[in-house]
Amino acid sequence: MLKIENLHTTVGGNEILKGLSLDVPAGEVHAIMGPNGSGKSTLSYTVAGRDGYEATDGAVMLEEANILGLAPDARAAKGLFLSFQHPMEIPGVQTMTFIRTALNAQRRARGETDVSAADFIRLIREKAKLVGLDDAKLKRPFNVGFSGGEKKRMEMLQLAIFEPAFAIMDETDSGLDIDALKMVGDVVNALRGPERGFLIITHYQRLLHYIKPDRVHVLAGGRIVKSGAAGLAAELEKSGYEQFIEAA
Amino acid sequence: MNEALFHNPTPFEIDLQAAFAGRAKATGAQAAAFERFAKLGFPNRRIEGWKWSDFNGALRKLTPANDAEAQADIAASEFAALNPLEFRIINGRIELPQGELADGLRYGVVDPVAAIPELERHAIATLNVAMTRKALGIEIGEDAPDRPILIRHINTHTAFAFTQTLMRILVNARVKLIETYEGEGSGFYSHLFHMVVRDGAQFHRTVVHQTGADQIVNTVCAAKIDADAVFNQTSLSTGSRLSRHETLVHLWAQGGSAEINSAALVCDDCHSDFTTHVVHKAPHCRTRQLHKGVARDHGRNVFQGKFKVEREAQKTDAKMTANALLLSDTAEANHKPELEIYADDVECAHGSTCGALDADALFYLRQRGLDEAAARALLVEAFLGEVLDGIDDERLAEVFRNKVADWLVYE
Repeated sequence: MLKIENLHTTVGGNEILKGLSLDVPAGEVHAIMGPNGSGKSTLSYTVAGRDGYEATDGAVMLEEANILGLAPDARAAKGLFLSFQHPMEIPGVQTMTFIRTALNAQRRARGETDVSAADFIRLIREKAKLVGLDDAKLKRPFNVGFSGGEKKRMEMLQLAIFEPAFAIMDETDSGLDIDALKMVGDVVNALRGPERGFLIITHYQRLLHYIKPDRVHVLAGGRIVKSGAAGLAAELEKSGYEQFIEAA
Repeated sequence: MNEALFHNPTPFEIDLQAAFAGRAKATGAQAAAFERFAKLGFPNRRIEGWKWSDFNGALRKLTPANDAEAQADIAASEFAALNPLEFRIINGRIELPQGELADGLRYGVVDPVAAIPELERHAIATLNVAMTRKALGIEIGEDAPDRPILIRHINTHTAFAFTQTLMRILVNARVKLIETYEGEGSGFYSHLFHMVVRDGAQFHRTVVHQTGADQIVNTVCAAKIDADAVFNQTSLSTGSRLSRHETLVHLWAQGGSAEINSAALVCDDCHSDFTTHVVHKAPHCRTRQLHKGVARDHGRNVFQGKFKVEREAQKTDAKMTANALLLSDTAEANHKPELEIYADDVECAHGSTCGALDADALFYLRQRGLDEAAARALLVEAFLGEVLDGIDDERLAEVFRNKVADWLVYE
């Protein structure tokens, strides 16, 4: 599904990812854990195609096609979704309008027809309930004045609406209380299926209590330095990342 | 007429002088105004308030052709759906709407103002006083029909035109005025708008400047606001070779308020200048001002806002915000926010920002599936949103939104 091979990424002249390889088959949820500065966000931005994150070597294969040369929106249309660690506020753009515009842009890029206004309103209301956002928020400018938790709910709302083939969740758990963590777990678990993959980037294992990963990887010094089953997360929580920082 | 009135006159000034000399009915006041203008000359970049809008330089290059009587093929206004009472000023000629006058509404072609004391040092306004033959006069009372007034300034010629609108909004009246500046002409147009808003009246003015790219335009709206009266103005300009819309508001009596919002969208070599001056002369008045300017290519966006709070104007509440967005390295924004405060118990603030599109926001939108053009357009619309949201008439707001969308197509 998402197969990263020997990825090297340079940011501002510094090489941050130094030959990262990772394979998340369809139907699986993988977690990436790692200390600060290990390259977790660089990985998510490189895969999503952000300017300034230059892949100098390697490949990122999404369903058998290398997406590294594609624009960010073309990657999104192929079904790649990134839940941002720090979601943006967009003053002046109503939330519903924005999400509908985005959904239809993705659909058009795939040669599908637009979702009608009526169908969209039904869809967004249903999913808003799922992520615990009230209707009034949908009429407000996108994320403006929302709390950190509400912004993460807004990311989960989009995840639930777009139903992407592959989702990267970049520290979605940071700043969330227990109820919100459970909500994130519910949204992801409801979407889990044989055709879909997830990569969950996190510092802590607490989100992994709600989303059981198939594999856990440790990212340190720009490479995956250890991989294991779900139990590896608990092990890391006890022993910390220090051993990996030294090893890297 | 003294042949040596201008020192080293330009072709434009020679034409002006000939036009003035050719007038049979100029009054003594107009002759005096013309002489005053000849001494002042067109404002140039050495004059502080005009350093970014050099009319002298632009008009120096203008050689008006003798097509002042050019016929214009006038299309229906894009505001026709609002069923307005439509006045047209075509190449300087006033056309009144057909039909009977209604209760509370009087209009006609009237004598122009002989002098505007607060604009005596304003060279173009002074020239306007000298040159304008007839003015459009409108008076609106409380019992006037609830129907917007539309004044279309249409210039299709390459010559110059000077016009005036004189307006009185009577006690407790409510007026919506839409003014459009249109036409593909490449001459010079000067409009002087002199008005009073009486006690308790509410005046909403919407200005749309969307002329051909070669037009040179200066408008000055001088408004006197009485007690508890409201002056509310929203402007949108796509600029032209040189365009400057000035608003001078005097809050004369207690409880008056002014809200002045403007949006500029300039591209190619166009120039937009919004210059405003709000004078608080009485206590408990309120002003809100918001300007948003977007420029790309070699577009230039000028904003000069000044609040003057006089000693008697205690409890003044005045805020000014100006934000510029530059979409290319060659675009320019020039802001000059100013507060001049003589009262000691007031709340006044101003803020000004200038920047490019936010790279984080752009990436966010593109990750959500919007292509680059759509993402940029959405952010520009968002940037302008506050000005558009301030328009309380949804049909008007729709016209504005469409204009923004049209402009963005070529982004």
